[in-house]
Amino acid sequence: MKKRISHIVLATTLMVSILSACSGNAGTANPENGGSDQTKTLRFATWDTGDALKIEQDIAKKFEAEHPGTKVQVEAYADGFDQKLAAGFGAGNPPDVMYMWDFPTYHQSLEPLDSFAEKDKDLKIDDFYKGLFNYGKIDDKLYGIPAGFTTRVVYYNKKLFDAAGVPYPKDGWEWSDFQDIAKKLTDTSKKQYGFGARAENDTYDLQGFVWSNGGSFISPDGKTIEGYMNSKETAEAIQMFGDMVKDGTAVLTGGKGQQSGDDIFKGGKIAMWESGIWPLESFKQAGVDVGTVEIPAFPGKPVKGVLAESALSIAKDSKNKDLAWEFVKFYVSNESIKMRVADLPVRQSVVNELKKDQDPLYKPYYTMLERSDNTPAFLLNPKWNEVNRQLSAAVEAVMHGSNAQEALNQAVKDSERYLK
Amino acid sequence: MAQTYLQNTSEPTATLKALKKRRWGGLAPYLFIFPWIFGFVFFTLGPLLFSLVISFFDWPIVGKVTFIGLDNYVEMFSNDPLFWKSLFVTLKFAALFVPLNIIVALGLAMLLNQRVKGSAIFRTAFYLPSVISGVALAMIWSWVYSGDYGILNYFLSVLGIQGPDWLNDTNWSLVAMVVASLWGQGSMMLIFLAGLKGIPKDLYESASIDGAGKIRKFLSVTIPMITPTILFNLITSIIAAFQQLTLALLLTGGGPMKSTYFYAMYMYENAFKYFKMGYSAANAWFMFLIVLTLTFLVFKSSEAWVFYEGEMKKQPQKKLKASTRGRS
Repeated sequence: MKKRISHIVLATTLMVSILSACSGNAGTANPENGGSDQTKTLRFATWDTGDALKIEQDIAKKFEAEHPGTKVQVEAYADGFDQKLAAGFGAGNPPDVMYMWDFPTYHQSLEPLDSFAEKDKDLKIDDFYKGLFNYGKIDDKLYGIPAGFTTRVVYYNKKLFDAAGVPYPKDGWEWSDFQDIAKKLTDTSKKQYGFGARAENDTYDLQGFVWSNGGSFISPDGKTIEGYMNSKETAEAIQMFGDMVKDGTAVLTGGKGQQSGDDIFKGGKIAMWESGIWPLESFKQAGVDVGTVEIPAFPGKPVKGVLAESALSIAKDSKNKDLAWEFVKFYVSNESIKMRVADLPVRQSVVNELKKDQDPLYKPYYTMLERSDNTPAFLLNPKWNEVNRQLSAAVEAVMHGSNAQEALNQAVKDSERYLK
Repeated sequence: MAQTYLQNTSEPTATLKALKKRRWGGLAPYLFIFPWIFGFVFFTLGPLLFSLVISFFDWPIVGKVTFIGLDNYVEMFSNDPLFWKSLFVTLKFAALFVPLNIIVALGLAMLLNQRVKGSAIFRTAFYLPSVISGVALAMIWSWVYSGDYGILNYFLSVLGIQGPDWLNDTNWSLVAMVVASLWGQGSMMLIFLAGLKGIPKDLYESASIDGAGKIRKFLSVTIPMITPTILFNLITSIIAAFQQLTLALLLTGGGPMKSTYFYAMYMYENAFKYFKMGYSAANAWFMFLIVLTLTFLVFKSSEAWVFYEGEMKKQPQKKLKASTRGRS
C-alpha cells in the first residue's frame, strides 16, 4: 500500500512540476506592462542585424537616459521579421513600435499617426524630404514616420575601369553605354564580368528600370495589369538583363550557394553593380576604389528610380501609445538620424549640415531621389502580393533564358484572377 | 495482499477502505502518463482538429477571419497553377527518392552485416549523418554543391570535368536534393540491419546445401525474410518524401524556377510567407489524404509480397501439395 501511495505522490509531483513549468512565464514580469517599480517597457521591433542593430540599440539607450523610468526592449527579428510581426499581431501581443514598409498588409493593425503628427510641432514635418510620406499612407491616412531611405545607383570599380582603359561612367549615360562598358570589362578567363544580375530579383527593385522605359507593372489606378505588366516597354527593360546574362557580359549572382553580388563586387570580379546605399560602407571597408553614378537612361526617356524606405509605426494594440510616439519622434530627430549610417538621412537639415549631397559618392543618391516620384505597384493594389508571386517567377525565368514577353504574358494570365 | 483483502471482507468499512485505496492505486498509472496525454491532446490532437476547422476559413493572421466553406479546396484544384506544379515536383522527387533510399539503405546494411574488423566503427560512421540536424546537414550540402567553391565540383575538375552549378541549374537541382536527402537515412539502415540479423543462419546453410550461390541466396532467402522491414521502410520513406521541407527551404528555396518547389514548401510559404493560414491548412489536409491513400495502397499490395516468419502464401501451398501428389 505504501508503495502505491508513493507512486501517486511521485506522479502528482511530476504532473504538477510539468504544469507549473508550462505556466512559468505567466508568473514572471509581463514585458508588455513593464514589470515592477513603475518602469515602463517599450517594445521596439527591427529587421536590422549587425552594425545597424548596434546603432539602434544605442539610440534606444539614449532614449532611456532622457526618459527616466523607461526601458526600451529592442527586439531584433532579422530575417523572420514578417513572420514574427504577423504572429505578434495575430496573438494580440505586438511590439509597441516597429520598423515597417509593407503598409498595405499591416495597416489595419497600425495606429493612424495623423493626429500625433499634426499636434506635435517638435516633429518639424516640413524638414522631411517631400514624397517620403507617400510611402506610409493608405487611403490618405498616415501609418508610418519615415526613418531612413535609399535610392538606387550603379556602383563601379574604378580599378577595373582603369585597367581596361575605359573612362568612368557619368550621370546622363544610356543603357547602350552601359552594355558597351560591360562588354569591355568582361574577361571570362579571369572570371571577371561587366555586371552582376540577380538570380532572384526583387520585382520591387526592378520597377525603376521599367518606369525608366515608360513601362509599369500595373495601371495607375491599380486595377489592371493586362497591357502594363506585359507591355512592350516592361518586357524590354527586363529582357535587357536576361540578354546580358545570356551573352556572358553579366553573371548571375546571389543564387543558392552562390556568392552575393555585394561580395563578388568586393572581390573585384564584377565591374558594375546596381544597389541601394546598404553595401557602400562595406565596399569602403573592403578597400574597393568605388564610384557611384545614377542609373542609365533609355534613349529619349527620363530616368526613373525607386525608393526603399523604412518607416516607424505604432501598433493599434499598444498600451503605451504616447510613450511610443515619443520614441518615434526621438528616432527621427536630427540627433538619432546622424547616428544612423545604413541608409540616407530623411531630414534636409541633416543633409545640409553634413553636406552629404555634395560628396560625389553620395550625390547620385540625391539626384535619383528627384527621379523617384512614381508610386510602386504594391501601394496601388492590396492583392499585389499574389500577383507578385507570378511576376517574380516570370522574371526569374527571364534570367534563366526565357523570352521576357512570353513569360510576362503567362504571368498576367496566371494572376489576373486575383484582381477580380 | 490477497489474504488481507479476504480477511477484510468480513468488515464492510474495511472493504470500502480497501476499495478506495485500490481505486487510487489504479489512478497512479494514468497520472504517470498524464503529461503525455496532456501533450497529445493540447499540442497534437487539438491543433490537428483546429487546422481542419480553419481550412474552411479565409484566415489571414493580420485582418478579418471569414467563413468561406469549401472555397479553399476549390481554389486549390481549379485555380492555382503552383499547387499542381509543387505536387508534380514532389511526386517526381518521391519517385526518385523512395526506391533509391531503400536500395542504398539495404546495400549499406548488407555491407555492415559482414563480419569485418572494426564494423562497429563503420556502423557509427554511417549512422552519424542522421544524428546531425537537418539544418546543419543542409548547410554542409550547400557547400558541397556550390558551383564556385564546392568540393564536388573540385573533385570533378580534378577528373577534368566542368561540373554544373548544381543548385542553380534546373536540370540538376532536383537530383542534388535527392542525393542530399539520401544522406540522413541512418535509422533506415539500422532497421534493415536489425532485419538482416534476424534471419536464421540455418536458412542460408540449407540453401548452400541445395547449391545456391550468393545471388540466389540473396533473392530467395534474404529478400523474402526482410519483406516486413522493407514494407515498414517503404511507408516511412513515402511519408518522408512528402514532408521534405528543410532541404528545399535551406538549399534552394524552391528554385531555380520552382524546380525544387516541394508541396511542403508550397504549404509553408502559403502559411508563413503569404499568411494564408486557411488555404495552407487545406493544402495540409490534402497532403494527409495523399499520404493516407498511398499508405493504404502499399498495405493492400503488401498481402502479395510481404512474408512473415512461419507464414506461407496460400497459393504456393496448394501448388506444393499438387506437386507432391503428382510425384507420389
